[in-house]
Amino acid sequence: MSTTTFEGVPTVGPSAAIEPSFLTSENTIGSWLFTRDHKRIALLFFASITFYFFVGGAAATLMRLNLATPEGLLQPAVYNRMFTMHGIIMVWFFLIPSIPTTFGNFFIPMMIGARDLAFPRVNLLSWYVFNLSGLVVLFSLVMGGADTGWTFYVPLSTVYANGYVLAAALAVFINGFSSIMTALNFVVTIHRMRAPGMTWMRLPLFVWAIYAVSVVMLTATPVLAMDTFLLAVERFIGIGLFDIQHGADAILWQHMFWFYSHPAVYIMILPSMGVASEIIPVFARRPIFGYAGMTIALMSIAILSFFVWAHHMFVAGISIYSGVFFSLMTFFVAVPSAIKVFNWTVSLHKGRISFDAPMLYALGFVLLFTLGGVTGLMLATLAVDVDLHGTYFVVAHFHYIMVGATVSAFFGALHYWWPKMTGRLYPEMWARSAAILMYVGFNLTFFPQFVLGYLGMPRRSYTYPPEWQSWNVLSSAGASILAIAYLLPLLYLGWSIFWGRKAGPNPWRATGLEWATPSPPPTHNFEETPVVSLGPYSYDPEDDTFIDQEGVSHAR
Amino acid sequence: MTMGPEVDARRASALPFVIAWIVILLTAGISAWTAFLGLGIWAPVIQFGIALFQTALLFVLFMRLKGAPSLKWVFAVSGFFWLMFLYGLSMTDYSNRQSWPPAQASTRSQLQVDQDHR
Amino acid sequence: MPADTRPVPEMQYATLEQQGETAQFGIWVFLTQETIFFGALIFTYFLYRITYPHEFAAAAKDAVLWCGSLNFVILVTSSLTMVLSINAAAQDARPNRMVRWLIVTVVLGFLFLIVKGYEYYLDFQDRVVPVLDFVAKPGEGSAGELFWVFYWVATGLHAIHLTIGIGLVLYMLLWRIRRGEITPAYYAPLEVVGIYWSFVDTVWLFLYPCIYLVGRS
Repeated sequence: MSTTTFEGVPTVGPSAAIEPSFLTSENTIGSWLFTRDHKRIALLFFASITFYFFVGGAAATLMRLNLATPEGLLQPAVYNRMFTMHGIIMVWFFLIPSIPTTFGNFFIPMMIGARDLAFPRVNLLSWYVFNLSGLVVLFSLVMGGADTGWTFYVPLSTVYANGYVLAAALAVFINGFSSIMTALNFVVTIHRMRAPGMTWMRLPLFVWAIYAVSVVMLTATPVLAMDTFLLAVERFIGIGLFDIQHGADAILWQHMFWFYSHPAVYIMILPSMGVASEIIPVFARRPIFGYAGMTIALMSIAILSFFVWAHHMFVAGISIYSGVFFSLMTFFVAVPSAIKVFNWTVSLHKGRISFDAPMLYALGFVLLFTLGGVTGLMLATLAVDVDLHGTYFVVAHFHYIMVGATVSAFFGALHYWWPKMTGRLYPEMWARSAAILMYVGFNLTFFPQFVLGYLGMPRRSYTYPPEWQSWNVLSSAGASILAIAYLLPLLYLGWSIFWGRKAGPNPWRATGLEWATPSPPPTHNFEETPVVSLGPYSYDPEDDTFIDQEGVSHAR
Repeated sequence: MTMGPEVDARRASALPFVIAWIVILLTAGISAWTAFLGLGIWAPVIQFGIALFQTALLFVLFMRLKGAPSLKWVFAVSGFFWLMFLYGLSMTDYSNRQSWPPAQASTRSQLQVDQDHR
Repeated sequence: MPADTRPVPEMQYATLEQQGETAQFGIWVFLTQETIFFGALIFTYFLYRITYPHEFAAAAKDAVLWCGSLNFVILVTSSLTMVLSINAAAQDARPNRMVRWLIVTVVLGFLFLIVKGYEYYLDFQDRVVPVLDFVAKPGEGSAGELFWVFYWVATGLHAIHLTIGIGLVLYMLLWRIRRGEITPAYYAPLEVVGIYWSFVDTVWLFLYPCIYLVGRS
């Protein structure tokens, strides 16, 4: 990006920039690689996770090509490595960092009225550690990949697996430190760096969601770190704490793994919930319904997520009474999620709704999350899970949440905040078309998998009986549509950087503090620290006015 | 809190910390002594109780939680609190799983163990 | 730099007090996850010890009690000297007393590592090193080796954390204090290091009964 493209003050809007934007203030590579600016670090993360998204997506492409016919395409051992690396890369190198390290890093300080996070150098270090772990996982991938499934169960991973398990496990171990650093930064920043007047109950729900996610990251990741460390030790030296030859318990590995990995799936969804709560009020021109309930729901989900992990282990050999307990708790954790879905829906009532791309993605999020969540309840039922565990029903369930919901919300956030981050407007019709295409492609890819799971097709299998081929073909066809829907934004968003219309400070007429700055914002965010006097989402659909958080009223 | 020893570094004397140091060493001695008394299951209970007490002394005095804003207390304690989830909920499985412990491990003969190591 | 020249807070902080308090808060948040990290390891120990009490008791007889106890004393004393150095940082216009106590802390830290190294040597002599040289003692069965895997992993991780702590104290001594950046006006970085150091000590408070007080009667 040369200085001539973005030079100077945005042409629209009353708040002219006094200093250059964060994008153009310095242009050397060093100024990007050694930056302390949370906004630049957010873009650095954005580049990294986009790269890994396409690496993980390439593995998925090979898998769906393979599954289009029962004869398949890949050798079985290669197929095993594909689904393993797809899972590892998508979970730890795309989904978990996705919204927190990009939009969280960029907007948390701005939403609370701060000039940066509490620990900017820790933030930059987090990016470097993330990329270090990425190099290790790429090494594992290039050398052939691990083949244990992303869940690394012992003793397959410690004793019998032939792939590069040690490298993959170490990559996950190192990646955990990146998560922890990011989470620590957010927790401390949200507690201590809020602008005057920004009380907890005036925070935008996105901030609450990132706070909840950070608490979960902070408390769950160390258990994974210890678990993968012990796995690496046992793989490397040949004996360890999960060695059944010495009376240890292989299932202990699963307990510690899922103690992290179940909260991890909430790490992947909570930020998306925050994004939906930001987008829906803006495009319905109404305050979110039940703000306090939404905050309680977020924190409840965060805490309850720690009580349900063994629902991944119902058929692993745990005690049946333990299974009953975890099944019950899994039903409980669905309650706050359902409350949120009700609140998002009711927030639309009597609103002045417009179907811009961010809103399309947000509505798609709500629908896909609901379907994924309901099927989760089915899996939580012990007797049903006995039949559905390890089938494509589970695969469809978690893809509805992680891809349908989270990735929809990610794209919604991308479009919503694109004008603020880049100072450009994207072409709206292309964006709406991509959103609809994604929704269609997604459902075509994953709904047939519910059917396949119901019919009994096991997951992690390179082949299947021929009578299931038509469902698999539908799924693979859907995946090709989904791929186009993911590639389109790359094209038109990239186009908009150079030729898009320039954006003013607040193209969506939104109330958050981030919209009170120029687009793109200057390095220090705010010339003067804002003084907050109102909660978020003070929209009035009747006369289409709104009041921003500093108390300034804006007419039509 | 105006009662108890002053821990703020700007005003604290060495005395409360030296006393705490002595107490930690003495209780450690007691803890070690209990190991030799044949108390069975109670020995580790006492020993880990003493460890928790020593941790409290370290946290409150040496790490200056005393008089600190309650938010620091929350984070200081929450690590231990979260561990209760891991320990407690995992034990819902181990305490009544039929196949735990595996019967053969503790009764294997020394000979068989030696053979495995060859 | 004269002792009363206050450093300027970083751009995102309104006051130096906010910066110092936030740094301390940050280390406590970090320790939350460290507690859970070590606590997860100790959970494996907890599970196997209540499952195999006799095997663990037999295996732990070879734990070198005098090394563990000496290291306990060394580490708790180093926490004391660390606290005294922070008091000196806050109260003294000149850094001499602070530096002296910090040097003692570093020396005690190294002493711990030396004792630990010697203990590892004794462990090799007792043949309690899984994979490299392990012989199961009478009554230990095969589960006893789990105790020793725990021992090496736990003490190894603890030693790594202690080494990081020593590195941080040396960084304070050779970099920040030498440039006069730790004064009664602002000594928060030293407090942060001190809190981390005492936490490393806390881990040993729990590892001590885990390793050295098993099966002694």
